Amino acid sequence: MATEQPKPATEDVKIDLFEDDDEFEEFEIDEEWEEKEGKEVTQQWEDDWDDDDVNDDFSLQLRRELENNTEKN
Amino acid sequence: MAYLSMGEAHRRITEYLNKFSDAVLYQDVTSLARLFSFSSNSPSLLPVADALNVFQDANRLIKQSDKFSQFGEILAQLLRSLQSYRLGNLVDSYQAFEKFANAFIQEFRNWESAWALEALYVIAYEIRVLAERADRELASNGKSPEKLKGAGSFLMKVFGVLAGKGPKRVGALYVTCQLFKIYFKLGTVHLCRSVIRSIETARIFDFEEFPRRDKVTYMYYTGRLEVFNENFPAADHKLSYAFAHCNPLREENIRMILKYLIPVKLSLGILPKAWILEKYNLLEYSNVVQALKRGDLRLLRHALQEHEHQFLRSGVYLVLEKLELQVYQRLLKKIYIIQKQKDPSKAHQLKLEVIVKALKWLEIDMDLDEVECIMTILIYKNLLKGYFAHKSKVVVLSKQDPFPKLNGKPVNS
Repeated sequence: MATEQPKPATEDVKIDLFEDDDEFEEFEIDEEWEEKEGKEVTQQWEDDWDDDDVNDDFSLQLRRELENNTEKN
Repeated sequence: MAYLSMGEAHRRITEYLNKFSDAVLYQDVTSLARLFSFSSNSPSLLPVADALNVFQDANRLIKQSDKFSQFGEILAQLLRSLQSYRLGNLVDSYQAFEKFANAFIQEFRNWESAWALEALYVIAYEIRVLAERADRELASNGKSPEKLKGAGSFLMKVFGVLAGKGPKRVGALYVTCQLFKIYFKLGTVHLCRSVIRSIETARIFDFEEFPRRDKVTYMYYTGRLEVFNENFPAADHKLSYAFAHCNPLREENIRMILKYLIPVKLSLGILPKAWILEKYNLLEYSNVVQALKRGDLRLLRHALQEHEHQFLRSGVYLVLEKLELQVYQRLLKKIYIIQKQKDPSKAHQLKLEVIVKALKWLEIDMDLDEVECIMTILIYKNLLKGYFAHKSKVVVLSKQDPFPKLNGKPVNS
């Protein structure tokens, strides 16, 4: 990581108020809602991505690279 | 301000006081809460505040009637807070509000039923946001902001009033969530521990009985704490709960949940579908996901560098940095498959030299010793099954399942 110039503003930043960028928005006291369907939940993630497919661009380049090098040796 | 006669001012204040005592008498919590919803009910409160600035002796009105004087401290401080609020003196307004709130919980404690719980929610919320604004005022005057911390102490007291046995306990989680917001803002998250313990160890009250809005908020914050603790299975459980139960219309909240849930899932070897990143505008994770899929170490490093500031601020940088081992695993697996397609008989032997070359192509300069080191770590962490033949500089892969999947479990540490 590149070393950064010391910031002269650091002093001000300290006096500045604390922040949490990810403060959860307040729900209304009487807010009601329908639950999401279970089906949708399963379509959000994939755990079977680690396949044996090596036909993507990256793998093809990797193959070319490895073959080039073996020829040179 | 339009001219306000003394008589009209008197009438407005008396009306406000009557509303308070009637609301308590008839246990009408909605009307009661409206009287101190400064932030959301100002259109109907400001005329009263204006009246207070004309008719300076409101305390006399309170003392004149038993109806009001039995709530003397509550009403006097509430009016004072409202008056200062109108004048924009937020520090004064906060101080009076805190005194009002303390007097109110004294009363509340004596009420056997939980009828006034919603009014207490409003107090808990208002005191927090008022403290934040008061702190901004203090800071801009070069003074040390301390009101939010004070609001935290007050809410701890409220938590104590609610957390025991009985019908009021259902309100404890709302107050807990307000406390979390304060502690996360002040950077004093260790203070969350005692409230969490009280919520989670209680045998007398099932967590599921709390209101849904509070359960979702609670799981979001405790999930974030588990991310800081690097306890990824627990973080997954809590954030997934928040994600599944959040109001689907609250997209900003869902986005915040995912901001933490995605790195947690990645660390467990589970990827988000692309549409999630698009729908919730979390594209900073796209290249990280892509890097894992490809085994592209260079892309991972670039993605981390590109969004370094953002990832550091939310505290997920270290989680993402550790994905590097999984990306190594993926890269080695690809080299293995490519070798296997060429010559299946030798595929389970990975020459270090070949790995060094692949890394060089990815602009990562490592010598044989360094790569050997990485291989040892991968074997130790069970991301690679096999052994290392030091003499011939070859990793000999196990014939069975040489690249074990995480399947939702964290990398061994």
